[in-house]
Amino acid sequence: MELIRHSDGRWSLARVSELEYLMLSRIQESADPSGCDKALERLYPSPVAPTAQLDHEAALSIEEDWREYTGPEIRDGFSQALEKVALDIASASVEDDEGYEYYGMTLPDAHAESWCSALNQARLVLHHRHELPAEAEEMGVSPVSEEWIVVLQSEIYGMIMEFLIKEVLWDQ
Amino acid sequence: MSAQVFSVEVEAVPVSDIKGDTSLATPWQVLIFDDPVNLMSFVTMVIRRIFGYSEQKATELMLQVHNKGRAIVWTGDREKAELFVQQLQSYQLLAAMEPVE
Repeated sequence: MELIRHSDGRWSLARVSELEYLMLSRIQESADPSGCDKALERLYPSPVAPTAQLDHEAALSIEEDWREYTGPEIRDGFSQALEKVALDIASASVEDDEGYEYYGMTLPDAHAESWCSALNQARLVLHHRHELPAEAEEMGVSPVSEEWIVVLQSEIYGMIMEFLIKEVLWDQ
Repeated sequence: MSAQVFSVEVEAVPVSDIKGDTSLATPWQVLIFDDPVNLMSFVTMVIRRIFGYSEQKATELMLQVHNKGRAIVWTGDREKAELFVQQLQSYQLLAAMEPVE
């Protein structure tokens, strides 16, 4: 995979292999926290700090208001980002290079924010659902296990995020 | 002229309610907690973007989150604190608020 920054307000994911494209195609489903309480709690945490010196009722009242008014807004933002990214991925073109097929897409800078959100949602849910260590090096499992594939998926997402943060979003 | 007597009924207010009201008036602080999955560059970028801090200050706060597990990133009125927490959580940062003791 090659990540390219263009000077005309666009960026590209180029020479995306079949495996990498498969992993990109999984962003939306990977970011779904359904059925994983830890991932749900992580994506939608309480607005009240655990150290807050508030009586139980006051904390509960803030949390209830948050769930009713703010939570849905945050959820909508997450969903919109995922949908935008899914459309981008579905619109990828296939390039033939010396007998190998690669996927590619050139996207406007305005999509970078949604990509960062979607990739980060997916990374957070993957880590909580599969109880992965923070660093891939901490894993003591076989490189053919499903867990290893999930770590690879998360690493690829992280690599794209690093590119977008440094090359596209930093000065916006 | 006859004297008029006024009586005022004072309803007892539980102490917990008074504390709740008081905490609305006191300053609140916005905290970011460490999450080993979030990228350091991402946390720095979000802090810079939301609070308008310099790159140096945003990096210092990010490192404080990373090394100490949490950092107070802003202090002020509750309404604004709520807005900042919402913005931080919209970027999937582990953010919350509490009244300043």
